[in-house]
Amino acid sequence: MHYAFHFNVVWDHWRELAQGAWLTIRLSALAMVIGLVVATTCAYAKTTGPSAVRWIVAAYVEVIRNTPFLVQIFIVFFSLPALGISLDANEAALAAMVVNFGAYGTEILRSGIDAISHGQIDAAKALGLTRLQTFRHVVLFPALKIVFPALASQFILLMLASSVVSAISAVELTAITNSLQSTTFRPFEFYFVAAGLYLVMALGFRAVLGGIYWLVFARRGRI
Amino acid sequence: MIDPLKRLGMLVLAALVFVLGVQTASAENTLEKILSAKKIRVAVDVANPPFGILDKNGQPDGSDVAVARQLAKDLGTEIEFVQVPSTGRIPALLAGRADVTIASISVTTDRAKAVMYCNPNGALSITIFAPQSVKIKTPSDLVGKRVGITRATLEEATVPKMAPEGTKIVWFDDLASTVQALLSGQVDAAAMTAFAEKTVADANPSKQLENKLLVTTAFYGPIVRQNDFELRQWINTWLFINTQNGTLTTIYKKYTGVDLPPLPTF
Amino acid sequence: MSRSFGLPEFVYIVAAIRWTLLLSLVAFVGGGLVGFAVAILRTTQSRILRLLTTGYIQLFQGTPVLMQLFVFYYGFAVLFDMQVDAWPAVALAFTLYAGAFLGEIWRGSIQAIPRTQWEASACLSLDYLQQLRFVILPQAMRISIPPTVGFLVQLIKNTSIAAIIGFVELTRAGQLMVNVTFQPMVVYPLVAALYFALCWPLSLLSRFLEKGIDANLGVKRPL
Repeated sequence: MHYAFHFNVVWDHWRELAQGAWLTIRLSALAMVIGLVVATTCAYAKTTGPSAVRWIVAAYVEVIRNTPFLVQIFIVFFSLPALGISLDANEAALAAMVVNFGAYGTEILRSGIDAISHGQIDAAKALGLTRLQTFRHVVLFPALKIVFPALASQFILLMLASSVVSAISAVELTAITNSLQSTTFRPFEFYFVAAGLYLVMALGFRAVLGGIYWLVFARRGRI
Repeated sequence: MIDPLKRLGMLVLAALVFVLGVQTASAENTLEKILSAKKIRVAVDVANPPFGILDKNGQPDGSDVAVARQLAKDLGTEIEFVQVPSTGRIPALLAGRADVTIASISVTTDRAKAVMYCNPNGALSITIFAPQSVKIKTPSDLVGKRVGITRATLEEATVPKMAPEGTKIVWFDDLASTVQALLSGQVDAAAMTAFAEKTVADANPSKQLENKLLVTTAFYGPIVRQNDFELRQWINTWLFINTQNGTLTTIYKKYTGVDLPPLPTF
Repeated sequence: MSRSFGLPEFVYIVAAIRWTLLLSLVAFVGGGLVGFAVAILRTTQSRILRLLTTGYIQLFQGTPVLMQLFVFYYGFAVLFDMQVDAWPAVALAFTLYAGAFLGEIWRGSIQAIPRTQWEASACLSLDYLQQLRFVILPQAMRISIPPTVGFLVQLIKNTSIAAIIGFVELTRAGQLMVNVTFQPMVVYPLVAALYFALCWPLSLLSRFLEKGIDANLGVKRPL
């Protein structure tokens, strides 16, 4: 092995790496929140909407889940402007991530909603709850609790997938790492550290999500 | 049944032996290896007109590709093209996936720290271009504008230095993305070789793209790994002969449309 | 020097599908072998083996695929001074990636088999390997087929990431054709449609199998 490690080169650029990581975190967190709203809306539409709406949502979910994220962001960033919709790199990245997470989230939530027994819904009707109230308290909340682990995993996958938005010039961690390694010719040191940063962020997100679960779900009574 | 731990240990040992065995010390230098294998592997960037393009059969073509083909012919070996994006031109060479990279690598002192340059085989200029509607006459006009550049290129090394504070520089992984960004309006201007700009401008007359600012000019040449002195010497000899007999000039003119300037040597 | 999008360009893109399929196949088979070993090792008594395999899985599940590709493509060869061609580097990266995910899926399937199956087969004086071979694995395999097929879809989509390092598969072919035709509005949706054609049938198959499994075996899926 003739390679001499020079990790101090990485340390010299810690500020840029931190900036990149910060954008990754912001993009991912924002995409998760908005994506969850989208997923909830679509899951609701899919379970209780008219058949035309159900069909549209199903088509959206199937198309997104069966095409690569990279191609999706290329379309959002390079193809949409021809239709007059021009988003800059961060906006395009966020939009694509929201659309992507929305599709997966819809499926996950839907399976959770399906798991709610009809007896619960009948009881809610008997108690005079409106359809929206029923959905919110009797269906959505328990469903979220059931599928939370699956959603959490999908969140982490979303954060990791964000590395691909470097291809449309969003200056997140992967993009910064790429630029730095190509100008210093120290690929191994930079990729090693960047991978470590992603691991740390993944663990961090997992901890935060675990905390949210505990705060919101675990302390409530029996479901 | 063998204890799984022992089995794992044997597997790891076998893997280590295999890996170390592959790295058998070789007394041959790279030129000798190429000659005895009768094959030279050349890294090229086929998304970088006119130096490297794909012809209508999906095969590599372009001025540097043509140079590589002629070089292999005179060397008496087969040629294998290793297609790389601009960010992969030097790493592919360093990783041993190619013996030489002929992909309009401009001569810079930074790159010379990692690779050995052969004598230049061409010249290029980097300019910033944009649609006619975007007003850029001096570098200070760049303030507030988004300028697209490609990673691991000469423009990446030079544009950030000449662009004033307040210019928004946007990095893309390859030239194709930078071009698309300009055409789709994601950036206001883009920097690349003047030849590439001509290709893009000619193909998109409706956008009315024009050259705005000259960033720098440079010579470019083939690169080899450090310590491949024999290969470098052979390539330099070949370049000398083909500069004298006009082959390089002919190839350059065919793909770029301009005359080859006098090429300096190291 | 540009052409408009016509039959030769279409053929170039479609022809690149074979690289996507080949890479996916190699990664799936190789990853299958690795994943199988990992799944078994994860359920042994040896604490060290469990730790090692868990570490491997956490590493590949907690870092972006793009990063893994960069490390194997740019970093590895520089580190070990080895001459690693593009195909082996990329294939190795995807194999290890697939191995981690398949290992998790299959471990989950093995652990979903009720304890009673282990106990009953132990009563019949089968040793560990025999228990696995005759009782546990046949049942685990049936449960694992739907998520395994689902992962195959993910794998095929993720091979698109190799385009970023210039590896020529379907997505990169699309990029190169956009570079020649300057028509991203035509090319990228086409590329997306081709991926859809590859992945959707597999997704449908996975869902069909999942329903079939539930109805027939009545085994509860691990959440």
